[in-house]
Amino acid sequence: MTLILQAVLLLGLIGITVAIIFGKDLMISVVIYCAFSFLTMLLYNIMGAPDVAFTEAVIGVISTVFFIIILRSIDRKTK
Amino acid sequence: MRKTITVILLIISVLVPFMAFDVLPVIGDPQSAPNTHVSDYYIENAIEECNSPNMVTAVIVDYRAFDTMFETTVMFLAGLSVVIILANKPKRRIPAHSSLRRMKDAGGRPIYKTVNKDVMISVIEPVILIYAIYVLFHGEVSLGGGFQAGALIGMTYLLDIMVVKRDRPIFDIPKARAAAIAGFGPLIYALTGIVTILGGGLYLEYNKIPLPIHHAELHSIGITAVEIGVTIGVAGTIITILNALMERISFDDDND
Amino acid sequence: MMTMINTFLATKGIYFLTLVLLALGVAGIIVCNNYMKKLICMNVMQVAVIFFFLCLGQKSPGTIPVAMDTAVKASQYINPLPHGLMLTAIVVSLGTTGVGLSLLLRIREKYGTIEEDDLIRREDLMTRKNKDGGDRK
Repeated sequence: MTLILQAVLLLGLIGITVAIIFGKDLMISVVIYCAFSFLTMLLYNIMGAPDVAFTEAVIGVISTVFFIIILRSIDRKTK
Repeated sequence: MRKTITVILLIISVLVPFMAFDVLPVIGDPQSAPNTHVSDYYIENAIEECNSPNMVTAVIVDYRAFDTMFETTVMFLAGLSVVIILANKPKRRIPAHSSLRRMKDAGGRPIYKTVNKDVMISVIEPVILIYAIYVLFHGEVSLGGGFQAGALIGMTYLLDIMVVKRDRPIFDIPKARAAAIAGFGPLIYALTGIVTILGGGLYLEYNKIPLPIHHAELHSIGITAVEIGVTIGVAGTIITILNALMERISFDDDND
Repeated sequence: MMTMINTFLATKGIYFLTLVLLALGVAGIIVCNNYMKKLICMNVMQVAVIFFFLCLGQKSPGTIPVAMDTAVKASQYINPLPHGLMLTAIVVSLGTTGVGLSLLLRIREKYGTIEEDDLIRREDLMTRKNKDGGDRK
């Protein structure tokens, strides 16, 4: 059962990465990156690595806010 | 053209190893190579040798203490390099986007100035800090450890700067001073190592700390001292990077 | 049916998805025109590698690596070694993201853009201007 859950979560991560690559708006990419970090934390939890999941949760929040701080000075539309 | 070639090559590079996956161990079987030879020793001896039921903390801070010291130093150097990169005085600060300034709430005040947000954050912050201290000191019993505690403290500072509108944040640390604080982390880590040498042991061999305490407790003291160093290093670095980035970008609440 | 899916996933499926995630990270870095997206894809690659390491340490009968009682049997607990390695890797990746972003900020201030093609064009412009300036002096 856990393997199927891991596979589903991995598919979610792959979907988010594709959305980030082909997205036009940077703000959406950064917000999706926060969702990516959340799914990664779920994945580590299912695999039985709660320590790593704890760290990934906190570090994911902080790196997303770093991106958002930078995004305030960069126009959101990208080619 | 360049991009299509890369995409084709990447697709091939994903399909070709598909045949070679039987070299890798089957996920989850206890007899696979990484799960048998070395790791059994660490699992069975974590409690006797390091007095810490949390085996992951035992691996990070006791068996691999020397290596984690340099991880903390790498973290400190990352903060330092951010300070050096952003050291020059910019000609003009990059103004924030006007779209953020126009958001008004019912009372006509800018959205981010509503009171309940400040009160909520001021209530939550001490709770997070207490939790961070708990995570730090319970690193070897339950989940947690120095890295998580440092990141939590960094997150509290971040929460305060980004949300609560004060003319000066709780503790106004410019990026250079925050980098200096981050330097204390690896320093404390290295000093515990020297203390163990003074006690007659190897570098970072915790049961040689010259304190008249039972052998097992010495390990806990050594682990806690080292975890405090890691926490200060990680929290200082996060605050340094935050300050460095925030000082370069003018926010809409700067000029009104 | 379930066991067939499980065995397929355990031997090949999970590794294939991790490889696809890694390849997507690499593709993102090459294909994306915007430097910030390249940074995000770098973090995606990081997660793929960390997940692969944690996969190697998994034990189906094992619980989380916190010893409940003193009588510890190795097969009961998940392998803590990859966890220790990857925990510090995640924290250091925050440091490198911070450094990458500060470089991004400097590029934005100097060239006014973080799109790769505009940047290369302005870079050529600047070097040619400096060269002409040099000759006249």
